[in-house]
Amino acid sequence: MNFAIKVLTSTRFAVAVIGLIILVSVVGTLYPGGDVVFGSPWFVALIGILAISTALCSLTRIAPLWRDLRRPQVEVSDRFMQALPYYVRLSGVTLTQVRDSLKGYAIRETMTGSTTFLLAQKGRVGRFGPYVAHFGVLILLLGVAIGAAYGNANPYNNKITVIPEGSSLQVDGFALRLDDFSVSYYNNGAVRDYTATVTVLDGNLIQTHTVTVNGPLTYKGLTFYLYGYGVTESGTAWVAFQIKSTSGVPFVWAGAAVTLVGIMLSLYVPHKRIWIKQSDQSTQLGAISNKSSARFFREIEGVRTKLESRAHRLDHANKSEEI
Amino acid sequence: MDAAALEHLGFEIALGTYLISSVLFVLYFSLKKRRLAEMGFTLALFGFAFQTLALATRWLYAGYPPWISTYEVMSFFAWAAVGAYVILNFKSDYKSAGVLIMPLAFVLLGFASMQPTNPAPLIPALQSVWIFIHVPIIILSYCAFIIAFVASILYLFKDKQLSEARVTEGLNRQRDTGSKDTPPLGTPESTGILANFSLEQLDDLAYKSVAVGFPLLTIGIITGAIWAESAWGSYWSWDPIETWALITWFVFLIYLHAKTQNWSASLAAYIAAFGFMSAICTFLGVGYVLPFLQTYVSVSTGLHGYAGGGAISGTVLFCGILGAVLVLLFATRKKPPNATRAPPARTDAESGPTT
Repeated sequence: MNFAIKVLTSTRFAVAVIGLIILVSVVGTLYPGGDVVFGSPWFVALIGILAISTALCSLTRIAPLWRDLRRPQVEVSDRFMQALPYYVRLSGVTLTQVRDSLKGYAIRETMTGSTTFLLAQKGRVGRFGPYVAHFGVLILLLGVAIGAAYGNANPYNNKITVIPEGSSLQVDGFALRLDDFSVSYYNNGAVRDYTATVTVLDGNLIQTHTVTVNGPLTYKGLTFYLYGYGVTESGTAWVAFQIKSTSGVPFVWAGAAVTLVGIMLSLYVPHKRIWIKQSDQSTQLGAISNKSSARFFREIEGVRTKLESRAHRLDHANKSEEI
Repeated sequence: MDAAALEHLGFEIALGTYLISSVLFVLYFSLKKRRLAEMGFTLALFGFAFQTLALATRWLYAGYPPWISTYEVMSFFAWAAVGAYVILNFKSDYKSAGVLIMPLAFVLLGFASMQPTNPAPLIPALQSVWIFIHVPIIILSYCAFIIAFVASILYLFKDKQLSEARVTEGLNRQRDTGSKDTPPLGTPESTGILANFSLEQLDDLAYKSVAVGFPLLTIGIITGAIWAESAWGSYWSWDPIETWALITWFVFLIYLHAKTQNWSASLAAYIAAFGFMSAICTFLGVGYVLPFLQTYVSVSTGLHGYAGGGAISGTVLFCGILGAVLVLLFATRKKPPNATRAPPARTDAESGPTT
């Protein structure tokens, strides 16, 4: 059991599953009719395994991350400081000056004896990015599952129905009447658009809508798409509508949006941490960022130059007073 | 001169210029004369200006943005790729990236020139606000992936060159000192066109490009799904294009995980290179498939009549050409200076080089 959890929560396993999905997908597109694999139970199972792995990965990592961000290690050893990718010793700088120069950083401080520790952090929310994205993917997949379970169970789903002009179609709880159908053309004779005018008859409610190729009608969980048209032998126009259930679709869009936000957070919000340790003998500064280190280090370099030049000026002023 | 003729002229000049530029870059890669790259880049700028003129003219007289028909999409992609290359060179000197980008731009324009060019009025299915958003976003993501691809390929070349240099240096030292104990090795410097940037810079450039391209691709896939939902009632139907877009997304997803997990940088470079190949497959699928869209809204063909088999042969053809260009580059590549020296003494050959 422990072993199973360990495998399922490892990134390597998830990547292997994604690799398998990629392989199957490539094969599925290479052969004519190969797209049947995407509906096969074992392909669905593969996606299911990926979903479980994604969920477990996130669940096992998010608690330690949360703890780490809630109660970060402010008091650190000299060894830890020196091992950070950015490390300098500052001279003649007071903690107040340091605090003032770190704009937009969340600052924590502790004191042990005569040593003061300061931790300045920025962009902690970026650390949650991957898990937000994972969560979004799970919502999306939930939407797909709902669509598959309830949408396909809906007797009207995927039906293509022909309505002659003036007649109406009875569906679950309401009727749809085709009032008019027209085709508009460009000057050169090419079709500009197809437009069907329909009326929804739902008890006392009577609503007229137009349906175009890119503008379907959605009403009470069913969407009506323009699918085809023609004229009967008696000269009456008819329109074919494809009916789709909207079950799960809102979840898909919500999931996609959350995924996108998660991706943006993880790619564009770097988590920056700066530790400062001040004792009687020295002031040390160490910093780390989970990405875009070069720019971050330039930022600290700027802060440091400003601090030290000020310290130098003060030093100079003190000396001239002594004279 | 009417607008169509002006567009045609701009297009032809760009096509010719990109070809000469590609030849100069391939020569540069084998002869290592810096001037050749400078000339290649200048020509690329020149061709880019003319192609911009051609595309702008077309937009004005056709009345819709130039990324709808196969001809337009391919031309626009070539334009955006060269544009990304030019922008990249404003920031730092990556002129040698032209070795990969200019042949690609030329091949794309060449493909475009074989397509019908007359602007046709937009058919109903394409009259959607999403075509103004979805297509350019996807193309932009591909441009970011081109940069990632170029950076990754250069990374792999440089990595190979450095390790070869390290091996030959080790062998030379063994021979010179006549001892099996290898003295500590210095860091060898790479030569030729790869000397301009470090492995770290290339790795960083690839990551940053993917960091731009991946969210764009995500937005592109989502807007495509929204469009599909409103046009033919299904946000996802496993069409070859959709499937390949998802494959590309998955490959770059693996890349990002490889990065956060600190897997080896050369593995990441391979993944990014594959991701771009996959993007090209997606793109060619679309290029060959879009003409089938003309049959939209007729009972006989149904909604997915456009997913024809032409996509696959086109994709295979293109990947073949791309592969051939890569092989050519590999073949014309100059070996590191020491690599041709005499092999080490017999005893050393048995033990193998120590690195």
